[in-house]
Amino acid sequence: MTTVLTLIVLAPLAGFMLNGLIGARLGNRFVGVVGCGLPLAAFALTLVSFRALETGGAPLIETFYTWARIGPRVFDVEFYFDRLSAVMTLIVTGVGTLIHVYSLGYMKEDKGYARYFAYLNLFLFFMLLLVLGRSLLVLFVGWEGVGLASYLLIGFWFEDPEKARAGKKAFVVNRIGDAGFLLGMFLLFWALGTLDMDRINAAFNGAALPAVSASLVGILLFIGATGKSAQIPLHVWLPDAMAGPTPVSALIHAATMVTAGVYLVARMSGIYLHAEVASQVVTTIGLVTAFFAATIAVVQTDIKKVLAYSTVSQLGFMFVALGVGAYGVAIFHVTTHAFFKACLFLGAGSVIHALGGEQDIRKMGGLARRIPVTFVTFVVATAAIAGIPPLAGFFSKDEILWFAFASSRGGAPLLWLVATLTALLTSFYMFRLVWRTFLGASRMDEKTAHHVHESPWSMGGVLVVLAMLSAIGGFIAVPHYLEALLPAPPVEQALHHLETPLLVLSVVVAFAGLAAAAFLYGGTAARAARMEARFAGLHRILTHKYYIDEIYERCLGGPLVWISEHVFLRTGDRLLLDGTLNGMAGLAQRVAGGLSRLQSGSLHRYAFLVLAGAVACLAWSLSHV
Amino acid sequence: MDRLQILLLLAMALFAVGLLGVIIRRNLLVMLMCMELMLNGVNLSLVTFAQQTGTEAGAVLVFLIFVVAAAEIAIAIPIVLLLVQGKRTLDADAYTDLKG
Amino acid sequence: MIDTLLTGLDNLLIYVFALSALVGALMMLVLRHPMQVAMALISTMVFLGGIYGLLGVHFVAAFQVLIYVSAVMVFMVFVIMLLDVRDASYAHRFSRWRYPAVAVAALLLGTLGYAVWQGVFVPAAGSDAAFGLREFAAAFLSEYWLQFELTSVLLVAVVVAALAVLREGRRHRG
Repeated sequence: MTTVLTLIVLAPLAGFMLNGLIGARLGNRFVGVVGCGLPLAAFALTLVSFRALETGGAPLIETFYTWARIGPRVFDVEFYFDRLSAVMTLIVTGVGTLIHVYSLGYMKEDKGYARYFAYLNLFLFFMLLLVLGRSLLVLFVGWEGVGLASYLLIGFWFEDPEKARAGKKAFVVNRIGDAGFLLGMFLLFWALGTLDMDRINAAFNGAALPAVSASLVGILLFIGATGKSAQIPLHVWLPDAMAGPTPVSALIHAATMVTAGVYLVARMSGIYLHAEVASQVVTTIGLVTAFFAATIAVVQTDIKKVLAYSTVSQLGFMFVALGVGAYGVAIFHVTTHAFFKACLFLGAGSVIHALGGEQDIRKMGGLARRIPVTFVTFVVATAAIAGIPPLAGFFSKDEILWFAFASSRGGAPLLWLVATLTALLTSFYMFRLVWRTFLGASRMDEKTAHHVHESPWSMGGVLVVLAMLSAIGGFIAVPHYLEALLPAPPVEQALHHLETPLLVLSVVVAFAGLAAAAFLYGGTAARAARMEARFAGLHRILTHKYYIDEIYERCLGGPLVWISEHVFLRTGDRLLLDGTLNGMAGLAQRVAGGLSRLQSGSLHRYAFLVLAGAVACLAWSLSHV
Repeated sequence: MDRLQILLLLAMALFAVGLLGVIIRRNLLVMLMCMELMLNGVNLSLVTFAQQTGTEAGAVLVFLIFVVAAAEIAIAIPIVLLLVQGKRTLDADAYTDLKG
Repeated sequence: MIDTLLTGLDNLLIYVFALSALVGALMMLVLRHPMQVAMALISTMVFLGGIYGLLGVHFVAAFQVLIYVSAVMVFMVFVIMLLDVRDASYAHRFSRWRYPAVAVAALLLGTLGYAVWQGVFVPAAGSDAAFGLREFAAAFLSEYWLQFELTSVLLVAVVVAALAVLREGRRHRG
């Protein structure tokens, strides 16, 4: 019985403890070594487990301890390491370690250095708990824990009320999803008596289906996933979450935490294979989210907001893949997305760093010569997300498009069409970002332009590593590796001959996006301004993100405030509670005011009153008894 | 008038005199001693009844009263000392700080 | 015959002790100096102890002398010696409430005396079989063990309270 998995999980926790408790006193060098060393150790241990998994073949299972024992039910904290967890753990620890290293340079000047690394390590701990937990219960602890870490890191600069508010928004929106998740868990436990995910899958794949609607459970769990993975209608928190430090956006809000929903659905594929309705819901939500988020990203002017909506959109793609049964492909996209989106976010961080905090792409431009490393890596990652071969995004996205078209589990030409359109938009808005940020004439003011500098090597090096991964990540055959665990869905035989034409088409689409961006934003970008003027109405809707925040505010926030104000505050609190209490307090005050005159402070008088009272009592009892 | 009645009357007289002493004497220590006298009166009645009925419950209660009396004096004396430290007098009329 | 004589002597002694105790109590009301009051109280207590002894409850008598007269009153006498007691309460020993208090106390005594006078006492069955220390001890630790244990809680509370008072006194001094 080894303890490698336990050590993987506990290493970041140790980092959190050390940095959180004594880090601030021991200086930045200590914090940096602990903060990056322990995630690196976790990564190394993951590689060891990975080798053990490959030589042994069977999933590694470690029981950490028994959490609770209720009657015959036992709730163990167990770690489960199969090929799916292996891929996720490698992403989490690998990309996580890189982003920790990047943070060394990025957060150098911040006074909350130790606190930052403590939170980051805490996040890693909970994320590993999430992907390694065998039971849904352990997964849920990690699920909530990453939410907590995300909240802490979004509101990292809590002195700014706007940023603290963004943290709260993320927390509250996630709670809505968690309610669904919890209900799903209860239902599963009620029907099966276990929360171990491999056992649940086995139960659904067994001869007799469990006495619970797979679609209902699937939809409930998916509600949880929409919260964590920012799908419509719970996507509103992710763009606001960009208030946190940029490496946090890269790690939590792009590469790892937001993919937890995808991991959950893939992990529970046993249920979704038997839940046609739930799968359709997943596909629809994913597709709608992917498309709408992409349209919003087209007009955003904040470099991080563009990337945030791009993340939402890419997550939509993953859910489309999940919905049509291509679970392995979804995880493949999670992997490649982790590489190129982390690279993009960190590149954006490098740009922001270079410009001294500026995030508005209208005030950038012409940065390519000034910060060449950032530029080159950013372009590689952009090409990867746009789907230009042979970079990583091309492979995963093309597979998603193919299965959206041809899967016999709900693939359809319409699905493919919308997804391809989204891919076109993706390519367009990403290259638009490149043009606005790095190319064309500089729109910076004098002072900012003077200070532009390339980032230190702790940041640049990480960018280069991630750019290389974005370039070659597509050759890691994740779907093939996961085939035994998550088989690809059957494909309509009649459509097989279309595979190559579609492949060519998706390459054409990627280059079309590139061309459109070059056409509109090349040179002085005058054509873009004219376009904007012509479609002013559409532009306004997109800039305001379809007014979804406003609609939520009007339909949910407004009535809630009204009820709180009129019913609970005025009637309930002030009239009933305060009235009763004040009335009672007033009565007591008046009575006490009268009685206090008796309280002269003279011991003799008190004793005399005792005597008189005793006599009175005696006389009364003698005359009555 | 038999012995029992005499003893009970004595017990009541001690109690009444003790209470009277608490009321009319101004010295804090004397007041404390008068309270002891009250306890003694109660003790006497308990012992009398216990002896009269041949049961031990009364005597047990007397023992408990001993403990209570000792505890009372052990805490009352330090309080008196503390009070005197502040105002340099044993006059109960001087301590009306708790006037309502 | 000698038995009758002895019983009569016992009763006589009880009456004498009772009268002495009452006198001691009354003296407490009027004596000026607290030390004199303490002496009067001690004499009253000793006479009460005598009564207990004559009643045949010897161990209560022993404890009356040991605990009250020795422990409590020695403590009291120490404090009286410790403090300078010749203050306002020495010059004017009675409070404003003396006249109404005496009247009401007389009323109390009258009420109680009336109750005793009127009351019907039914001597219990085994009244002659005076209980000894053995029965008392057995009852104390078997039937009344809870009360016995509770007194220990009371004593702990007293220790804590005394410490609190001590601390308060230290703060007073600065």
